[in-house]
Amino acid sequence: MKDIARQSMSIKVESMDLLNAQIKMEAHASATYLAMASWCEQNGFFTSAKFFFKQTEEEREHMMKIFNFLVDTGGSPVSPEVTDINHDYSSIVDVFESTLEHEVAVTKSIHNIVKKAREIGDIATERFLDWFVMEQVEEENTIRDILDMIEITGTEGVGLQMIDNQVAKWID
Amino acid sequence: MNVIVQSTYYTLYQDTQQRCFFVDFGQKMVRMSLCQLLSLRQKVMSISIESHFDSDLNKHGFEVLMLCNKEHLFILNTLEILDLKRMVEQGFVAMGLSAESELVSA
Repeated sequence: MKDIARQSMSIKVESMDLLNAQIKMEAHASATYLAMASWCEQNGFFTSAKFFFKQTEEEREHMMKIFNFLVDTGGSPVSPEVTDINHDYSSIVDVFESTLEHEVAVTKSIHNIVKKAREIGDIATERFLDWFVMEQVEEENTIRDILDMIEITGTEGVGLQMIDNQVAKWID
Repeated sequence: MNVIVQSTYYTLYQDTQQRCFFVDFGQKMVRMSLCQLLSLRQKVMSISIESHFDSDLNKHGFEVLMLCNKEHLFILNTLEILDLKRMVEQGFVAMGLSAESELVSA
């Protein structure tokens, strides 16, 4: 008997489910960073707003990378429903701390999929996620550097203006 | 046609010549591609069976299932949904596309 199912799809459905959940997470991150960009614009942090506009695009690219992987492997990618986006932040420090929390959650989720793929012998998914593992190291490092810079600069006096100006270093 | 898996109410077949699958729903036989079978899996696994035991969430204990780009419509009761979940789950294991037999929450 020919294995039509295997000929049509080259990853496990468990990986597909987890990758669809990851698509949703990346879409949620993209929408969250857009809300942060909006907050920054409204509160006079125009350079930080530019940073978050760029982050929004990056998260969407991550989402599309996973979406296209599911297409390429014969899976069934699901367009995500994005709800519950927070638009309220108490300060620019709160914005960047929330960003780091978000990135850590994304990293944990990616690691979880890698572990699961390894457990079920889905080598294609495991190798595909290599890029994401290293990308997350970079993403977390960027936000940690910004938070370090905020701590050194301080938020008193012209500190907030200096913080916003210095965020430009991490835009390119 | 080869039987892949059979449950109480449903049977999943593979048709090698036509390179497709068939699901016998009792009332009728539905032809499906693997993509349509994945879509069926997504819909069936997304159904919260707990809501069938809460009259506020699902008053009559029925689910309306539209398949193959709205070509087919089924109204299934709790037992049929449970059986369909089991058939889909075991079907993907039998086809080698699922590594485990526990239910995957959508």
